[in-house]
Parts: sequence; structure tokens; C-alpha cells
Amino acid sequence: MIEIDRLTKRYGATLVVDDVSFAVEEGTLAVVVGTSGAGKSTLLRMINRLVEPSAGRVLIDGEDTRAIPEDELRHRIGYVIQGYGLFPHRNVADNIATVPRLLRWDSKKVAQRVEELLDLFQLEPAEFAHKFPHELSGGQQQRVGVARALAARPALLLMDEPFGALDAVIRSKAQDDLLAIQRRLGTTIVLVTHDMNEAFRLGDRIAVMDQARLLQYATPAELLMRPADDFVERLVGSAERPFRLLSLIRVQEALEPGHAEGEPIAASESLHDALSRLLWTGRKALPVADASGALIGQVSVGGILQRGRPLP
Amino acid sequence: MTPASFVRLTALLVLAAFIAMPQVFAFLFEPLIAPGAPAIYNQGSLLVLTLQHLRTVCLATMVSTVLAVALGIFVTRPAGAEFLPLSRSLVNIGQTFPPIAVLAIAVPLVGFGEKPTFIALFLYGLLPIFENTLTGLTQVPSPTLEAARGMGMNARQRLVQVELPLALPVILAGIRLSVIISLGTATIGSTVAAKGLGEVIIAGLQSNNIAFVLQGGLVVALLAVLIHDGLVLVERVAARRLGGSLNEVS
Repeated sequence: MIEIDRLTKRYGATLVVDDVSFAVEEGTLAVVVGTSGAGKSTLLRMINRLVEPSAGRVLIDGEDTRAIPEDELRHRIGYVIQGYGLFPHRNVADNIATVPRLLRWDSKKVAQRVEELLDLFQLEPAEFAHKFPHELSGGQQQRVGVARALAARPALLLMDEPFGALDAVIRSKAQDDLLAIQRRLGTTIVLVTHDMNEAFRLGDRIAVMDQARLLQYATPAELLMRPADDFVERLVGSAERPFRLLSLIRVQEALEPGHAEGEPIAASESLHDALSRLLWTGRKALPVADASGALIGQVSVGGILQRGRPLP
Repeated sequence: MTPASFVRLTALLVLAAFIAMPQVFAFLFEPLIAPGAPAIYNQGSLLVLTLQHLRTVCLATMVSTVLAVALGIFVTRPAGAEFLPLSRSLVNIGQTFPPIAVLAIAVPLVGFGEKPTFIALFLYGLLPIFENTLTGLTQVPSPTLEAARGMGMNARQRLVQVELPLALPVILAGIRLSVIISLGTATIGSTVAAKGLGEVIIAGLQSNNIAFVLQGGLVVALLAVLIHDGLVLVERVAARRLGGSLNEVS
């Protein structure tokens, strides 16, 4: 659990981060979102002390980060930045091995870990281990960047616009992969982005920042239904709101008994996907299948529409 | 074998043969001299002079490299940043002072022989290496440094594992420049009795023997070209790992 407690950063007379507090539960993903210059990167960099706070503190599992030597703290926290900052003179395997080697793991253990991570990130070790960063595509570089950050099994991963340099198609795949890996490893993640869609897609909780202050820290659904002020409401996008809300709800939750015609939709997909299929095919209802493919009921336009607004 | 490397290899073999057995080439120089004068330098072994020439240049460049790289590292650290302008002007003075003037000043202080030449070459060689070290260290991409810091590398680890390897091709280019300048400049050291290929040229000038002048000049020129090529190869190997992105810096 990460507790950010009244964290403040001042450069001269300018407040960059103003008295921000929130907590991130173990194994969840918190997204810090806001316009550029809102102070989100500085906030993130205060967690691993790349920036020293002017006031306030950060607790990791109850331990004040100021009590841990800087370098040691950073060995324990994964860090991914926009552009990844891969070492151009080291191949993929050596890049990933950076922190384990700083920690003086023995070479067998390092090699084993590198192979494990290459597998996890779907980079064939025989093909990629000896490539240099300039020989990789943007998506591959991004995966190596995340693999390198996870190499020493950090309990916490900080990500600053990690998908900013990717095109839309690869970005969407990279986001899915990140979620899958996060579920599998149970890593706590704090991710900074300016992209609201990304925030809704990834965040268990979203922290909205503007002009150095934290405006709201809440689950995506809460943010949609009870925005704290006009700025949050504008950022969430009032026209998009019902659709965003639908994309947060699984088909499972709107399941009705009965049988409908057509190709079934998986219960794990979102109501947004279901509605889009219904609109496109012109049907009133779709059959719903569970993970094994067995039909378990249907989902209807009426059922979906009921959930596209705050419950009274 | 590419034509370029064939030419280089031939040049290397010709040079080695000429230094080892100059008499074999006497027929080439005979048309240039007055009747009765020697066609090939006869006041010492060309091989010994060449080795002494190279030794002076090597030593001077090594000392310049150590000092210039150390200074370049120091002024790019936060603690040394305020010394950057001062070091720049000092190193620049070393370059603007003509080597012949350095010799004139150094001889009364350290005597005749190799020492004044060494001092002149050392001062003259500092600037290219220092400036290239600065360029190399400051052009390390900032996301790379940020990532290194974020992963918990301390200042020394960042310097040794990230900054220096990335700056290496540019630093090597500076060393190459310095070596080539010194090879030529070292010939004037013979005016203050340093052993080297300048002796051949000066002997030729004094006895009005064009063959001597040509021999000294050609050996120095060939050495410079071949050493230049060899060092470019080393730089390529260093830069290849960086994706050739630094190839254009030379």
C-alpha cells in the first residue's frame, strides 16, 4: 500500500504540487490524470525521490521513503518513462538485467530472470535477447522498458506516459498487456497520463489533478456519476459519459434470462461492446455466452440503456 | 577486399619496407639530388627515428587524453560545472600558443631534447580531446540518464556504465584528431634536438638535399594517413553498437 501524505513541491514561489494526499491499495492500478503542467509527473517523481518533496511524505507499506537511502529505494520501485530511456549501447538482455546486476544477483539468476521476462512480454529470447534497442519497433521497445522496470520484482511500478509514443493500434494492445501482466504479478502501479480514455481503461482509481491540486480521487464510475467540480466534469466529457459508464460494466451484470438470435457475446465483455454490436446488427437483444462458450442468457437494448446513467 | 583497403594495405607495406630497407628505394630519389650527394638519409636509422617519433606522439597524446578526459568529466558534474569556462579558456590557450613558441619558452626551462617537444605536443593536443569529451558527455539522451537515475544507479555507476560508453565514439574522434596534429607537429621538435623524423627534413634543408626532405615528409604523411584510418576503424566499432547514430560525428 502506497500512502501519499500531504505531498507538496515548491520551486521558488511556484507551487507545482499542492498538498496532495491519496492512497493506492496493494495490487491495484491508480492513474493520475490531468492537463499538462498540472504537476502529475512531479508527483510521480516524488514517490521515488527523483524530486525531493518540499513538504509531506510518502509511505510504502507504512515505511517513510525518506528513511530509505535513495538508490536502494529506487531499486525497489520500477520506473518507466515516455521514450523508455533504454540504454542504446546495451542489448535487450543487458537492458533488462540492469537492476538485478546493480543488486549483484549471481549471473545464473539474472539470465533466468531475463528469459522469464522476455517470455512474459512475448519477446522470443533467441530472437530478441541480443538485439540492440535501435533494432526494435516502438512497441517492442515499450515492452523492454516495462520488462526492465519489473526485473527485480518491485512491489511498486511507476509509469510516466508509458504509452505516449505508440500509435493507436499498438497502444491499445500494450494497455491490454499491461493489465494482464498487472493481474498476473499483482504489482501495485501508479501511472501518469493526460489521456482520459487511457485513465478509464486502466485505472482501478483515478486521481484528477489540475494546477498542482488534486481535485478528485475516485473509482472511474464515481468520477462519471459524481464529478467533484466543473473541471472534472469537463475532463470526463459530458457527451461521452454514458458510453464511458457502459464500458465499465460487464455484460454479466446486465444478464437477463431468455434466448436471443445471433452470434453470442462473452459475459466478460463490456456493455459498451454489446451496445455497439446491437446497433450495428439492428437487433434488440444478443445471446450471452460464458467463458466455456455455453449460452447463459441474453442482454437487451433496454437493459443496457438502464445502466447508462446514474442509478437514482 | 575492397579497393580502399587494398590501397591502405599496399601503403602500409610500402611504408614498412621503406623504413626497414631504405637503400632499396635509392633509385627513386637519385634523380632529385646533386651528383655525389647521398640519395637516402645516411645520418641515422630511419626505423629508429620513426619509432622515436611515434613514441613522443604516443606519450604526449596519452597524457593529453588522461588530463582532457578527466577535466571533461569534472566540468560536466554538478560540482565542477562552475569551472567549465575557466577550463575552456585554459585549454584554448594551449591551442592558440604556436608549438614553436612553446618550444622557445620550454627549452630554457627544461633543456634541449624530447622534453620541450613533449610539452608542446601535450598542450596542443588537449583542446580536441577536451571539447569532444564535453560534446560526448552532454549529448547523452536525457531520457536515458533519467531512466538510469530512476533505476537507482548512483553518480559513479551512471558515469561508468552509461555516460562514458555513450560518449566513447566522440572522445575517440577527439583523440584521433589530436594524434594526427601531433604527428605533423612533432617534426619541429627536431629543431630543439628531439629525436624524430624532423631530423631527416632538417638535415635535408641544411645540406640542400631535396631527397632527404621528401623522405622525412613522406614517412610522416603516410604514418598520419594510416594511423587516421586505423583509428576511424576503432571508432566505427565503438559506434556500431549505438546503431551508427554517432557515425556522422568525426
